[in-house]
Parts: sequence; C-alpha cells; structure tokens
Amino acid sequence: MTVNMQVNLGGLLMKNPVTTGSGTFGSGMQYADFLDVSRLGAVTTKGVSVVPWEGGPMPRLAETPFGMLNAIGLQNPGVDHFKEVDLPWLEQQGATVIVNVSGHSVPEYVGCLQALEESQVPHAYEINISCPNVDAGGMTIGTDPKMVEEVVSACRAQTKKPMFVKLTPNVTDIAEIARAAEASGADAISLINTLLGMGIDIRTRKPLLARVTGGLSGPAIKPVALAKVWQVANAVKVPVLGMGGIASAEDAIEFMLAGATAVAVGAANFVDPTATIKVIEGIEAYCESQGVNDVNELIGGMVC
Amino acid sequence: MCVTTKLMDREGVVISNAALTDRLFEMVLQVPDIPADVKGGQFVHVQIPGMEGHMLRRPFSVYYVDLEASTMGILYQVVGFGSKRFAQLLPGEKVRVLGSIGTPWSAPVQTKRALLTVGGVGAAPLYMHACDLVAAGVEVDVVMGAQTKDALVAAERYTRLLGHEPFLATDDGSYGHHGFVTDLVVERLAQGQYDYAACCGPAPMMRIVSQKTLEAGVSSFVSMEQHMACGIGACLGCIVATTEGNRRSCVDGPIFDAAKVVW
Repeated sequence: MTVNMQVNLGGLLMKNPVTTGSGTFGSGMQYADFLDVSRLGAVTTKGVSVVPWEGGPMPRLAETPFGMLNAIGLQNPGVDHFKEVDLPWLEQQGATVIVNVSGHSVPEYVGCLQALEESQVPHAYEINISCPNVDAGGMTIGTDPKMVEEVVSACRAQTKKPMFVKLTPNVTDIAEIARAAEASGADAISLINTLLGMGIDIRTRKPLLARVTGGLSGPAIKPVALAKVWQVANAVKVPVLGMGGIASAEDAIEFMLAGATAVAVGAANFVDPTATIKVIEGIEAYCESQGVNDVNELIGGMVC
Repeated sequence: MCVTTKLMDREGVVISNAALTDRLFEMVLQVPDIPADVKGGQFVHVQIPGMEGHMLRRPFSVYYVDLEASTMGILYQVVGFGSKRFAQLLPGEKVRVLGSIGTPWSAPVQTKRALLTVGGVGAAPLYMHACDLVAAGVEVDVVMGAQTKDALVAAERYTRLLGHEPFLATDDGSYGHHGFVTDLVVERLAQGQYDYAACCGPAPMMRIVSQKTLEAGVSSFVSMEQHMACGIGACLGCIVATTEGNRRSCVDGPIFDAAKVVW
C-alpha cells in the first residue's frame, strides 16, 4: 500500500507532514551530514531578524526533567546574511523552506519580510510572536490580541506566500489569540512555542539561566502542547502546525489526531539528529499498519 | 574553519571504564570510523543509556585513540547526573557516539617550542596534540596541575611521551609545586623562548594562562567548553564571547585563539 503523505498547510504543499521546530535545526546545514533535508515536509529555519542579534547572556541552556530550558534570545546573523548563505544552500538542496521571522517591533517584522520577499526561496513564513527570551517583540506581542492583529496584518500586507503565526502557550486563552491571528490573515497557526520556565542551582543559589527565566521544551511539555493544539484546531478554520515535545512518530500522530495538519520536531533534533526522518518513516508505517492510505485522514481524527 | 570531514553518529561499545580516583574515570570506547577521524582537541557527543528524564547528550573530549582496535579513551570527572551515570557503565554496554566535533588544535607550522598547560581532566584534550607536536619535532614543555597527587592521572602518559616528567603542581602540595599551575607557567615563560602555547583546564586557569602567555608575546590557544544541547552548531546554547562576536564553542571551537576570547 502506498500512503499519500502530502499535506497542504495553509497553501504550502508539504511532501509529508513533518517540519522542524525553529531554532532546533539551524537552517538545516548543521544536519546535512545526517540527512537529506529535502526529505522533510519542510525545513523551518532559525528565527531571522532584519539586523543581526547577539542573543542573550550565558548560561543559555539547562537540562530539566524530560526537557530543557533555553534562553538563547534569538541570536542570528540577520536577514542579509541569511539570504546570502542559508537560503541559497536550502534552494540547492531542493528543500521546502519555512522562514521563521522575528522582530522587536512592527517595522522590524515588516522590514525582515520585505528583505525576504526579494528572494524566491522561502516557500512560506512563520511569524514568531512567541519567543519568551527577548525583552521586546516575541512573546510580548503574542500575549495581546490587539498587538497580534497589528503585527499579523502588517506582515500580511507584505506577502502573498503562505504565512503562519507561531503562538505562545503562556496565555490565559490561546484560542482567542489564534482567532486574532486568523482574522488578521494567518494561513495557519503554529503552536506551541516554549513554556516559560526556570530553575535554580541550590548550591550557588544562582538561576540555571543567566536570564533567570527561559523557555521549556522537550517531552515534558507534550501533554500541554497537545491540549493547546486541540483547543486551537477547534477554534479556527485555518490549519494548525503542531509542536511541543514531539520525539517520535507516535507523538506526531497524536498531534495530528488532535487536529494538526503538520507537525514540527524540535528539541528531539538535539538528541538524535535523524529524529525527523524517523518520525516521517514512523507515521508512514503507522498509516500502513492501520490501513490508512492518506495521512490527511489522521487530521482531527481523535475519537471521543 | 578546518572541519572537513563529515560528522558521524555511531554505536559504540564500552570496553573498559576504570575509576582512577573517587571522581576521575577513564573509559575506553570502541566505535566504528570515529577514532580514525578524530584530531587532537576534538570531542564526541555521547548519548548515555539509562538516563531516564535526562535526555541531552554529553560532550567528552577524546584523550587518545587506538586505530587498530578502533577505540578511543575518554578521561572524565564525575560532576553531575550524566557523568555519574557514565561512570556506572559496564563493559559491553552501548552508547551513541556523535563525532568528531570541533576545530582541532593547530600550531603554526614554524612552531619550535611549545608550552602546554593542563589542569585536571583538561589533560585529556591536549594529549593527542602533544603527540602530534612531539612527532613534528617541536620541543614540548607540559605544565600540569591537579588538586592532589592522586588526581595527576595523566602524568604517566605525558611522561612516557616526553621522556621526562611534566612540570607538576598540586593544590594541596602533595606532589610537585604546592600551588597553581599558573605559578609554573610564569616560571617557564621567564626561562623559555616559546612561540606557541595551548591550554585546557578550568576557566579561571585558562584566563590567567592566556593573559601570561599573550603578555610574553606567545601565540596562545585555549579549549573552551560550555554546556551544550546539540553539539553540532544548531542550538546556539554554548556561546563563547570573542572579539569577533559570539561564537559556538562546539563547532567554531572548542579551540579558540586566546587573544580573541573575551573573558
């Protein structure tokens, strides 16, 4: 049996429903020794901004039970460098590319998108309004429906390409934020970004992260992510890109059954650089074993 | 950067895992392909079995390799959950080994006299480099420090290589110079005409050795280790601040020009 693995994520045709969590896969180049990035449904690149960002202070990482905290602070060499180095490489690989776009303010998001629009390579954008590790922009936008509308509308005016909006789970009602993004022109909703978390070294009494708080990711957050995906999938008409702690095909299938059209593998890439390929192969094997000939049948297929 | 070979993720098997002191261990791992690829100063990123909720890999510098047996030595200190679990592994147990990662040590071709300074398990990432330098006919002086005589676990291996004992220091005075290696470094710099210095050890030690060697006009390099997640340059968690901006200790390092490190 041949399983149709292709999905349509808000106008982006993906050869399979698996992409990468932004920030966990670089631009794919770092993983090229381990896999052919064109095999992925898409590569979602590390957040890029209109000018280079140095990121936050060290330490930026800490391991926590079944997960990790990070406060990288969106370090990136800026959109010009990204267009010179990363996009041509991705094009050469034949990859489907979702570019994660970050900013401190509306003009910065707009400026970054304008620069990216000069290139043919991006197939879609993921607007990051959910990073917990920057003082302006990021999560400060994604927690306020009015700000969400402002940023998403401004971005929408810049591009006709599929545009996704990545949400933070650190809100009271994520469905409200998702509806604001949808109403402002999002073609899909991407979620969840990391959960705000922290840790303390009790011997030194210092926080594990120099920024004190950071974003929690990894298998620890999967049940939370799954619930948010289910809530959002029920609240909006546009498709959902689900993520948060996916480490196996079984995890990914759960997200699709909860309503996700596609999924992203994040922190698992740090543990096993071929995690994405294993998830793709595992989803296909599951479909075969279940007599499912189209992976789209899984989307929202939870039986209550 | 001089990383030319492909990264590999291979299954390794523990050949031996010996306790040298209560906190220092030496493991011999048999792994396909990677030992033949490793250069001095590079490291491997190891997925340790039985880590329960601790999911990240752990980086370990390669101490030495045996190409015939396709094995590598790892000298490590138990500092946290991962290294504690690593120390419990028995011969025959399997681990995932990703390597060879990072920029190797690289002395300028015209190097005639090298001063290598190592502290604690920092002796490991410099040993293969010391072998290369000796083989290239470079005159090599090694300054080695540890907390106690028992912790000078690499001294014998270096003695065999050099044909004489390294300049030794212990924090408690139980062997060699009573005090820090940095005292011995100052002494060596006053006497020797070094044109190259390399150092690996605790950060405060590397900072002082960098400062002293640079002041003496010696071209100086250090091995910087940070906590890391991916180990392959993607996560940006293991940053070292340099005069050229933030650099990743995993793939832009771990070897850095000491003159460019912002301490």
